[in-house]
Amino acid sequence: MEHQNRPWTAFYRAGARAEITTPAYRNLADMIVAVAATYGRAPAFTCCLPNGMNGTLSFAQADAMSDALAAYLREVAGLAPGDRVAVQMPNCLSFPIAAFGVLKAGCVLVNVNPLYTAEEMARQFEDSRPHALIIMDMFADKLPRATAAHPIPNIIVTRVAEFLPVLPRGIVGLVQTYWDKSVKRIDTPHIRLPAALAAGRARIAQGADVGRYHQDVAGDDIAVLQYTGGTTGISKGAMLTHANLILNMEQTMELIEGVENGVVKGGEVALTALPLYHIFAFTVNLLGFYWLGARNILIPNPRPLSNLKRAFENYKITWMSGVNTLFNGLTNELWFRDSPPRHLKFASAGGMALQSSVAETWERITGAPVIQGYGLTETSPVLTFEPLGKARAGSIGVPVPSTEIICLDEAGNPVAIGEPGEIAARGPQIMKGYWEKPEETAKTMRGNWFLTGDIGVMDADGYIRIVDRKKDMILVSGFNVYPNEVEDVLAAHPGVLEAAVIGIPDSEGGEAVKAYIVAADRDLNGQDLRAYCKEHLTAYKVPKIYEFRDDLPKSNVGKILRKDLRAEALAELAAE
Amino acid sequence: MVDEFTQTLLGIMVAIIMLGMGASLTPRDFYLALKRPYGLGIGVISQYGIMPLLGFVMALFLVVPEPIAIGILIMACMPGGTTSNIFTYFSKGNLALSVLMTVTSTVTGVILIPIILLLYASALDLDIPREDIVRVLIVLLVPVAIGMGLRKLNANVGAVIEFCGALLALFFIAFIMVTWVPQNWQFLLNTTGATYVAAIGLGLVGIMLGYMFATALKLHPRNARTVALETGIQNGPLAIAIIVFTFPPDQQQAIMAVPALYSLFIVIVSTLVTLFFRRANTAAEQKMPDSLL
Repeated sequence: MEHQNRPWTAFYRAGARAEITTPAYRNLADMIVAVAATYGRAPAFTCCLPNGMNGTLSFAQADAMSDALAAYLREVAGLAPGDRVAVQMPNCLSFPIAAFGVLKAGCVLVNVNPLYTAEEMARQFEDSRPHALIIMDMFADKLPRATAAHPIPNIIVTRVAEFLPVLPRGIVGLVQTYWDKSVKRIDTPHIRLPAALAAGRARIAQGADVGRYHQDVAGDDIAVLQYTGGTTGISKGAMLTHANLILNMEQTMELIEGVENGVVKGGEVALTALPLYHIFAFTVNLLGFYWLGARNILIPNPRPLSNLKRAFENYKITWMSGVNTLFNGLTNELWFRDSPPRHLKFASAGGMALQSSVAETWERITGAPVIQGYGLTETSPVLTFEPLGKARAGSIGVPVPSTEIICLDEAGNPVAIGEPGEIAARGPQIMKGYWEKPEETAKTMRGNWFLTGDIGVMDADGYIRIVDRKKDMILVSGFNVYPNEVEDVLAAHPGVLEAAVIGIPDSEGGEAVKAYIVAADRDLNGQDLRAYCKEHLTAYKVPKIYEFRDDLPKSNVGKILRKDLRAEALAELAAE
Repeated sequence: MVDEFTQTLLGIMVAIIMLGMGASLTPRDFYLALKRPYGLGIGVISQYGIMPLLGFVMALFLVVPEPIAIGILIMACMPGGTTSNIFTYFSKGNLALSVLMTVTSTVTGVILIPIILLLYASALDLDIPREDIVRVLIVLLVPVAIGMGLRKLNANVGAVIEFCGALLALFFIAFIMVTWVPQNWQFLLNTTGATYVAAIGLGLVGIMLGYMFATALKLHPRNARTVALETGIQNGPLAIAIIVFTFPPDQQQAIMAVPALYSLFIVIVSTLVTLFFRRANTAAEQKMPDSLL
């Protein structure tokens, strides 16, 4: 059932560990403290606003401030080890303080998407039952409705310009209160983050020992509840342990550190435009690049993309993470094409399939490659990564150290090399299970193998290609058509801005391929695209129907919602 | 006409506005402009070709007294104002191009303004203090350079100055409204309609000509909007400062009429144009999801 000799380890850099099973630290709090002791006064986090206003915290400051928050949570708010603390904010200096503080207090961090509606928040609060919430003021107006069913006893409020120098902080505050009115009055009882830190500091001065809060936290204890729709669509919290996250951070960094053009300890400036509440940026940017001693440039809101301009102008960005949408968007911005970042070594893509046309354009403009990784919330998240300098077009790379991957057929048996099958993974980064949902956990685990719900193909030497989500697969006259492949071809057409492909019921072939197109070129029509697709795809994969639109439905996490398109198409067919 | 205190205050305000303009710039902006001088050339032509010619035609055909005509000419020959950057920002134009055009026209203005002004003035038989104008222009470049240095030194200081400079540019108009308008109320009532036509038309027709010019050259719509605003919106505070610092007090009232009225009306004209441009831009913008993940 497994690759006996793991041929992919041959692609790791020379000297890389093929096995990483024992975490370098007992728990994340130990890691945070040890790294701060090494890098001390070097800048750790910089928050850069669209107009260039900024604030920076050093490793030592982040360490001391998160100590103060831990002391507040345990001594003043009265939380116990293992109590959940929800954190709901975009990227800002408060995020690392909040996340690190919660972990140091021996509590469990619950990341909450700040764009959630009050109903979505309420569901997550009911499920995770947090004892405290650290939230950004801009989103606090949703609290009365979000906490009606599950009241949260301790609410700590922060703001986007927190810990910036006094003048920029004041200006941003005035603008948010009186100009764009993004901050409203908060009626829910709360304490401000700086006040909570002051109270925590006072307790430490009186002798409270923060080290004691986490000295008994073991690798197998839950560190984070990371919510995901998962493969079944029901929102559930993946229980990620301290060992899961430390090991996944090590597994990922093992392959990009110490290699030519790779990252160097203490020498990187990382652009964090992806939200830290998402598992990708959480593990790779917040934990991984902190561990490397890098300076993280935090962008509160990358929309519109011109919000990133000052960050690229004012800092020598050497590494960045992104998703297909971000890389595609940036290469379409005039200012970015005019002066691409000169110090960039490489960029990492995840979260959704990276289209090869986007990867090529990016490398042509910046001179630095985008390398793709793959993983899920349940896998902390990284399972595979393209070895730097050995990328293969369209591939998600090879399994990271101590990770095994196999592809399974419908019956659950491994398929032959080169054949598509559902990807199953085994390794130290696989979650402990879903929070209080053993039956959901059972559905996604087969023994200690985690079923991803993605269809992939593995080469003989271990490189993997994702063909699609299992549930998005289209069956045309007995042939499998994977929407990603067709979308990739469509997106490479110069007249196409975005494309989505779904299957609809068809009298001839069971299912037919339908393409939704957002055109960049108004004159583009279905005949042109059909002719173009015929050149690049086998006949059964060529879309039968082309529909042009102004935009495509997307989740608030930026992925195109094929299920919405399918529902629409089915409703239309039913109406006919 | 303008007392010592107001005069000093005016000088300080113009200096801060220019400081803020400098703080929004990096050497990279200049490098890029030189790499692609096409856009800049267009800016200089629209600023010192189209606008002065428009002013000259107005001074020639509108029936106005000599001091008013001098005011029209000076106003028409001014470089782009920082307010054009604010309106470009709000109309989602190309801010870097706008700032760059403003700075380039200010820098090249040291040489071009006296030449063009003298050319048209002698054609109209008007008397202009050339050396004084050059001196004022040079002095005002100093804060631009200081602003750039401050931004390089500390991004926060730069961003704060930029913000304050932009606010002050708007405040300047309010300042004129409360200081100059009441003092000159009687004059404003008695002056001919032609003065108002010139004050409003200079901005409005300037924006339209700028847009037509940029579109004829097939510039990207974003850049065409920028060139349009940049062409029509002149540096009003600079014109007023030049008049206050170079003409004798008894002539100032009439010469300042068009620049002062222009400064008031350009806000209204630009706001309307901006609303129009914003709608055009929203239709053409790259759509990004609510969050990138």
